[in-house]
Amino acid sequence: MKGESIELPASAAATIPIGRANRRTTPWRIDPFGILGIFLLVSVWQLLTIFVPSSLLPAPHAVTGRIAKDFFSAQELTYFGLPDASLLGSMLYTVENVVIAVIVGAMLGAVAGLVTARFRLARSIFDLVVLTAGTVPILVAAPFFLIWFGVGRASAVMLVLLYVAVTLYLFAQKAADNLDPVFEESARTLGATSRRIVWDMLIPGTVPQILGGVRIALAGAWGLEAIAELLGSQYGIGKAVELFAGVTDVEGIFAALLVLGVVAVVFDAITAFCFGKITAWSVVARPGGR
Amino acid sequence: MLFEPVEKSMIVLNGVSRIFRRADGQLVRAVADITLEIPQGQFVCLVGPSGCGKSTLLQMIAGLILPSNGSIRVADSLVTEPSPERGVVFQKDSVFPWMRVIDNVEYGLKCRGIAKGERRTIARDYLRLVGLSHVEHAWPRELSGGMLKRVAVATVFANGASVLLLDEPFGALDYVTKRQLHDVLLKLWAQSDSENRRTVLFVTHDVDEALTLADRILVLHSGQLVDDLDISVPRPRTADSLLLAEMMNRKHVLLAHLGLEGATALAAQMEVGS
Repeated sequence: MKGESIELPASAAATIPIGRANRRTTPWRIDPFGILGIFLLVSVWQLLTIFVPSSLLPAPHAVTGRIAKDFFSAQELTYFGLPDASLLGSMLYTVENVVIAVIVGAMLGAVAGLVTARFRLARSIFDLVVLTAGTVPILVAAPFFLIWFGVGRASAVMLVLLYVAVTLYLFAQKAADNLDPVFEESARTLGATSRRIVWDMLIPGTVPQILGGVRIALAGAWGLEAIAELLGSQYGIGKAVELFAGVTDVEGIFAALLVLGVVAVVFDAITAFCFGKITAWSVVARPGGR
Repeated sequence: MLFEPVEKSMIVLNGVSRIFRRADGQLVRAVADITLEIPQGQFVCLVGPSGCGKSTLLQMIAGLILPSNGSIRVADSLVTEPSPERGVVFQKDSVFPWMRVIDNVEYGLKCRGIAKGERRTIARDYLRLVGLSHVEHAWPRELSGGMLKRVAVATVFANGASVLLLDEPFGALDYVTKRQLHDVLLKLWAQSDSENRRTVLFVTHDVDEALTLADRILVLHSGQLVDDLDISVPRPRTADSLLLAEMMNRKHVLLAHLGLEGATALAAQMEVGS
């Protein structure tokens, strides 16, 4: 095809960020104010230890020392018969459960949410069931899961999986509802089949909101997994907290919770980075907008 | 330049009506018994006041909604669903934000099974024609409103549609950008010889835009076709072209149809004067 190109005003071209320059905008960066926040928290904590006895509130340096001591081998936990008696081993067990529950739960919830957004009958059938399941408090549901799946990994994973699936169901359904119909109409006029519309419009168009839902579900999953382990498990960081609580070892509880918190923050940072890369096209997915 | 269309009907509407049921249960006739023929290669503008049924009529021709009564044929085929033969540029931004600019332009070709190398060549040609070669790998969020419209126009032209349906595509743009896009649209439209030229139906409520672009202006009011005006002033039409007697007369007729008091009388006076 031969044709004459149309000149674009220089002012318009000069303001468009393209090519390599745009790649410098990474979706993850260290925020100095975040470091300031941590510094303030530790300072207040340290200040409080002057007034509160160490048996109730151990000092930050004592907790970090305890983490270093118990990280690979914790004698206190060995005494209670834990097979992998260390903070590292307990945390790895918890991480495995959370990762399995979040991946499977997110996939099930997101697919169900997208399907029900597209089919009115499926929505009528599933909405009430899922929303009812979502309102059951975790402390009420946990005993049932222990009865159904036994004391072990399965009950803890299923409990977290249910929470993640319900969360993602709602996020995916809302994302599909909010997707502007003009994209589907445009695709249809360009010759897209129904299958192409699902793969090329529905899925990519809802991904930023779904991944946002995954991050929220992941943040909640750590706490739920710890509760599930605390209520009925033989392993995990929640079990370690329960054992430390049993002997009023406040320093041990703080050490286990701090490890859990740090791991949760690291996982959130990694997922934020990966999701930012996946949805580089989206304004809303990028911290601070464009 | 004035293009003589080849007299072969591309779009034929026969007694087309469309009735909607409102939320309060009341039936509303958006389009009422329209019969119309548009020859192949003609650039037609459809004007009318807000809510008169322009967009509904265009969506029916696109196959996005079906008529309640009557039939629509495009290139001798009955319209029952959307087709890549009828490209649409929407009023809202319809460029897919999750695809880079070049992927947007070649999306229709991909749907039609064109090989990757060939469709990329075609997409690049059209991006060059609309002046966007330098942003082919940019994300749509990095483009201005005018550039997004260029991408949308390049996409429907690249897809090879024989009929282009544009629903107030430049309504939200500033005057200068709008004029630039008129040039882009007319150059793309005019690049084919008259036998292969695309038929364009352009919905607008901007009378000057219709006079600048159209071979023919259809006026819609309350869902009915109330006037059908030919525009014989040669292209390119500048701001000065709109001051010619024929254009001024047409403008006042159109303004009268849009409900502006006194415009009818002025149009009649100019008719006598000319």
